Amino acid sequence: MRRDWINIALAAFVVLFFIFMLAPILVVVVVSFTAAGYVAFPIPGWSLKWFGNIFAYQPFIDALLVSFQVAIGATLLSCAIGIPACLFLARARGAWAGAIMTFLLSPLSMPMIVIGFASLFFLSWLGIGISFTALLITHTVVCLPYVIRTVAGVYAGVPRSYEEAAAILGANPAKVFWHVTLPLIRPGIMAGSLFSFLTSFDNLPISYFFGSSSTNTLPVVMLSYLEHQFDPTIAALSTLQLAMAVVALIVVDRIYGIDKMTVAG
Amino acid sequence: MQAPDQPAAKPAASVIKPWLLTVPAILFLAAFFVLPLIDNGMRSIVGETGGLTAGRYLTLLTDSFYLRVTVATVLLSAGVTLICVVIGYPVAYFLVRKAGRWAGLVIFLLIAPLLTSIIMRTFGWQVLFARRGLVNNFLVDQFGVLSAPLRLANSPEIAIAALVHVLVPFMVLAIATVLQSVDTRLEESAKILGAGRWRTFWEVTLPLSLDGIGTGAILVFMIANGSFVTLVMLGGGLQTLPLMIYQQFNTTRDFGMASAMSTILLVIAVFCLFLQLRLVRRRGA
Repeated sequence: MRRDWINIALAAFVVLFFIFMLAPILVVVVVSFTAAGYVAFPIPGWSLKWFGNIFAYQPFIDALLVSFQVAIGATLLSCAIGIPACLFLARARGAWAGAIMTFLLSPLSMPMIVIGFASLFFLSWLGIGISFTALLITHTVVCLPYVIRTVAGVYAGVPRSYEEAAAILGANPAKVFWHVTLPLIRPGIMAGSLFSFLTSFDNLPISYFFGSSSTNTLPVVMLSYLEHQFDPTIAALSTLQLAMAVVALIVVDRIYGIDKMTVAG
Repeated sequence: MQAPDQPAAKPAASVIKPWLLTVPAILFLAAFFVLPLIDNGMRSIVGETGGLTAGRYLTLLTDSFYLRVTVATVLLSAGVTLICVVIGYPVAYFLVRKAGRWAGLVIFLLIAPLLTSIIMRTFGWQVLFARRGLVNNFLVDQFGVLSAPLRLANSPEIAIAALVHVLVPFMVLAIATVLQSVDTRLEESAKILGAGRWRTFWEVTLPLSLDGIGTGAILVFMIANGSFVTLVMLGGGLQTLPLMIYQQFNTTRDFGMASAMSTILLVIAVFCLFLQLRLVRRRGA
């Protein structure tokens, strides 16, 4: 009897926990459909006008384009330098390989605002201060670990025998990579790219330091908009962004099966 | 490009050593991650007139205002970490031992918030606790507890709740991973030997899952320490190092001081990373 009581208490706690986790998100989704001219919850009626309002504010459109370009660019760059590193690191044993892996993942552990602040001065000294190139470089620094961690994780689980078989049958290393290794690690590349894209798209503490009318990313514009206005446009924009992330996740999951990979960590 | 460790490598390929594949990534991070941080460290110790100075660090560690900011940063992170452990453990326990066929749903609900932007979640807290938000509506209109809406948004409590909201999934996943590997037969043995439910938990389950708490705690502490967006939007008068760096950059424009504060944050982060590696190595052994 007492046993059941404890189990019920635990289940009730978990339900409360998920109410806590979902409330701030659901509330924004609901507010984005409000008919009111102000932010209030519960909403007085339903409307789509705030979604239209996103496109009436030019800085949002400009920033959306910048954010897309930076996120795609940083992800491609991360894949270009990260995937080759994984091909070695996922199979290597020994202290050196471990140390290299730790180093390549270390940007994840550093405060973003420090990376942003330090990079602004350093890149300005190099002559590429506030520019699209600077955004691309700094975003790649924080996107690279996501690509490396995911691709290395997937590649470590791939048996060597496939590649060995191909090599014994006469395929040269380039062919082995293209026809055997690449298809096997593609789920990891897609999932890593998705995490990398979302990380870049959501980044504020780094992008903030590289803001200008032509290099403001979406979060930077959203933050400055919130400093002057507290209206449901931000809710609509957030909901749109969430819908985009969910669709991307479902598509990648349907094609490659993300659930087979460990997302934890 | 070639796959590593080819047993049947052709002579042409053996010229290219597989470790060379890591060179582009290492060079990139050395140039655009390590060098900026070294440059930042230099800026913090070079005086206004040139020459080296430790003056900024002395100020940071002795001036009562700056000292309070540093202490507040560490205390805030430690407090958030503690709350995450207390809230996260029961959820992790439920996920591993009780959820059964619901486990998939629990994991989905844990990971789903990670898809939302940080601005969305912070905005959500503002909406809940705004003057015309859900909480005030309930307190004033529904229950008539209060005559006027409370000014709840922008208080330290809300900022802490928002930080916990962002970080607690990491804690749950870290604890659950270790809890999964705890042999339930050990718990059964304790019970057979006469230990009660609580005693079994305190003396068997909890000690065996300490590694998970440690991994989660370091991760949460590390991220909380550098947290910025949540505090800028909901800060409620909290003063932390990331906020001070932001202010020094924006208004005071004392870049040397901001660099010194960045270096202190960095030292804390490196220390956490070191602890994390030791924990991973111990678990691997």
